[in-house]
Amino acid sequence: MPMYGDLGNKLVQHAKRTQNLQHLPAYQTELVRSVAREVRDLDREVASLLEPFQDSFDPAAEQATACTLLVNHMSMRRNKRCLLAYHRTRTDKLEELVWSGSDLLDLAGQQAGPGAANSMNGPGDSNSSSSLSPQEEDYVRQYGDLLAAYKGHWTDIDLTGSLEPPRDLFIDVRVLKDAGEIQTEYGAINLTKNSQFYVRQGDVERLIAQGYLQKLG
Amino acid sequence: MSYYDIDSILTDAEKIPCTFQLDVPELGYLDNNPGQTLKAGARVALPLWLAELLAITSAGGSDDQTKSYVAFDLPPALRNDVVQALKAEPLAVPLRDQSAHFYSLATHMMDLSEEPELSTTLRKTFVKRAAEIALHARKLGGGAGKGDEGSNLGVGGAGEEFLRGLDEWERRLFRKAHDGTKAGKEWMEKIKKY
Repeated sequence: MPMYGDLGNKLVQHAKRTQNLQHLPAYQTELVRSVAREVRDLDREVASLLEPFQDSFDPAAEQATACTLLVNHMSMRRNKRCLLAYHRTRTDKLEELVWSGSDLLDLAGQQAGPGAANSMNGPGDSNSSSSLSPQEEDYVRQYGDLLAAYKGHWTDIDLTGSLEPPRDLFIDVRVLKDAGEIQTEYGAINLTKNSQFYVRQGDVERLIAQGYLQKLG
Repeated sequence: MSYYDIDSILTDAEKIPCTFQLDVPELGYLDNNPGQTLKAGARVALPLWLAELLAITSAGGSDDQTKSYVAFDLPPALRNDVVQALKAEPLAVPLRDQSAHFYSLATHMMDLSEEPELSTTLRKTFVKRAAEIALHARKLGGGAGKGDEGSNLGVGGAGEEFLRGLDEWERRLFRKAHDGTKAGKEWMEKIKKY
């Protein structure tokens, strides 16, 4: 027997699963919409229950109605909490992703199939829509801007850089995705897929974090 | 227990048996009878988020003593036979089968009603099980470098059985103990290298 709050619970179960995942699963547009609809239905019911009383409702005299109102109110509050917690779990995850340097493009690509990052044009991605809602995409963009502005205060330290002290100044890398040409102290390098380079670690750290390059050895 | 805490929200979805104390015409759907009156005395399993407030809000009876909308009982997970089994041997009870959020459900229930004996039993249960959890976590974390694959090393079938029966809180404890041991070991090895 479905009852009020069941859909919200489903949403929270999604959030629970999200917590243990590396990537961000697709946004539950339908479910979110249904929960919001449920809240509106409940609100309408409350309004129609209260209508005959004209602002003179006495809970002690109308116990049964008061009880119904309380149940409806609690259901709405429950749904609100579920909705907020679901979105909060996702934004937490998004912030984490922004800090770790994944860019929005990657996030959109993830939805086709986590782990299949190199089959961007595979047959499975006919519906290559993002796993983020439009609002979340906006959030990521603005949060990224904020982070960039914050980092701008310190030019000599990279806040999102690796905390591991480098063992070697130069490393071998393999190119996983075409990344175009980059400029280094030692001239330009053209990063085409499957090629290998011996480069200065500091020059390519971000590209490694973004998944364009793979560190070897 | 924050407002946004997922586990706390899931705990609130656990159902507890309630008995309605008055007729409510509009709430028949709670007892599978939409459109019918929910009669006083009807027994319905309500999620905690709903039952809690219905139980502590007084209906404001004008005449006699104030009564609440519903009376509630302890949920099946805290049945007497479960508690007795915990008293006898805490390690032998798979708490997860009772409820995935066993402890937080129990603490919630104890907020609602005084259960001094239950509280003592649960405290003893946790202490005894926590020691066992720590033991398993150390065994796995200290074993083969790769954490989760180590589960078939050193731990017998009984251990796995026990670990499967952990509730959500205990699982977190296990994971922390496990990760801690592992990180400590990695750190020690790194020190040796330099």
